[in-house]
Amino acid sequence: MANTENTGKWGMVIDTDRCTGCMACVTACAMENNIPWTGEEEAGYGRGMHWIRVQRLWHGEYPEVKPEFTPTMCQQCGHAPCEPVCPVFATVHSEAEQINLQVYNRCVGTRYCGNNCPYTARTFNFFDHEFPTPMDFYLNPDVTVRRRGVMEKCTFCVQRIHKGQEKARAEGRPVKDGEIVPACAQACPADAIVFGDMSDSESQVSHIARSERRYQLLPELGTEPRVTYLKGGGYYGG
Amino acid sequence: MKNPKALWQRPVFRIGIAVVFLIILGGAAGGIYFTQLPPEQPIQFPHNVHVGLGAQCLYCHPGAVSGPVAGLPSQSKCWGCHQQIKKQSPELEKLAGFVSRREPIPWVPVAIQPDFVHFNHAPHIAAGLNCESCHGNLAAMTVAEPQKGQNMGWCLNCHQKMAPENFTRLSDCSICHY
Repeated sequence: MANTENTGKWGMVIDTDRCTGCMACVTACAMENNIPWTGEEEAGYGRGMHWIRVQRLWHGEYPEVKPEFTPTMCQQCGHAPCEPVCPVFATVHSEAEQINLQVYNRCVGTRYCGNNCPYTARTFNFFDHEFPTPMDFYLNPDVTVRRRGVMEKCTFCVQRIHKGQEKARAEGRPVKDGEIVPACAQACPADAIVFGDMSDSESQVSHIARSERRYQLLPELGTEPRVTYLKGGGYYGG
Repeated sequence: MKNPKALWQRPVFRIGIAVVFLIILGGAAGGIYFTQLPPEQPIQFPHNVHVGLGAQCLYCHPGAVSGPVAGLPSQSKCWGCHQQIKKQSPELEKLAGFVSRREPIPWVPVAIQPDFVHFNHAPHIAAGLNCESCHGNLAAMTVAEPQKGQNMGWCLNCHQKMAPENFTRLSDCSICHY
């Protein structure tokens, strides 16, 4: 079998100038990845569960106040702080896809990775959250329903990556640019989130990532995040 | 009257310990044994007869070629042939009952993996694997029997042997666990 697939270094670009903070990405992520809703009280204790959140910051003095929205998820670091601290190797680096994986069946729930994550991107299942009856029909069969005591985080919708690669391999062609779209990018009405293959210098995501408006979250830590943000000179709020 | 023997030397105590140990051991052995038995099916489907007559696996389990799940045949698939062929047998009367009541046949899946394992049939069929390399020789079974040792080491062994050039990708955790 010829190795036709694109080995891929998946990356994402988020244009904060376009983001309106509508939370469609948060909702789409929760639906795609079977993320339970914990409710007000648990969220108040810091046990809310989101793989992506929209950080809102205010800029300026009173009449001239402008919001800045930063959708933040697991940055899929090249040098991930979460990986070396796991005692059971439940969070490992994928050599093939160059993303961080969370292996739910290995995880014993020490929460060390979550405490070591500078982006606080990981969430922990403190309880077996119930999906009330009509909602359990919406569960995505491609994604594990995590149980209590397991850490979880954004996977860059790895189930969609695999589905796209399988489809491309079955048709005997490389993966096309823009063929694989994670749930957040698909749902974004402003097209603020772009996903693609960073190792291909001609892909849309690589083009946008070379913009002079680019920045990364906490670059001084040297984590080599795979998510690039754009800010300034923009459309709204910049 | 004071018993001269210490507690752990008394026969009653020792027999009690032995009984508790045997109950735990028997429970464990029984639990393992019952997972190896083929489950009760609504119809005692004779795989051996159908395979012996030359029916293709993919005729009744067509999903294996295109998707993750092979699928179990609906009553219309069975009835498509058995409307004409060999109507008289106790098992086929059960089938006729399901058809006349317009009920789906509640087949019990046998080759199952836990929720955190995502197996996909399509790439395995595309790589040229036969059904019987994982599911056993169905020509010698009536109802499908669970195969022993379908665990991660078994998966990885085959990935290493069959496709060493793709082993980086095929040994990636995310290939099955997400």
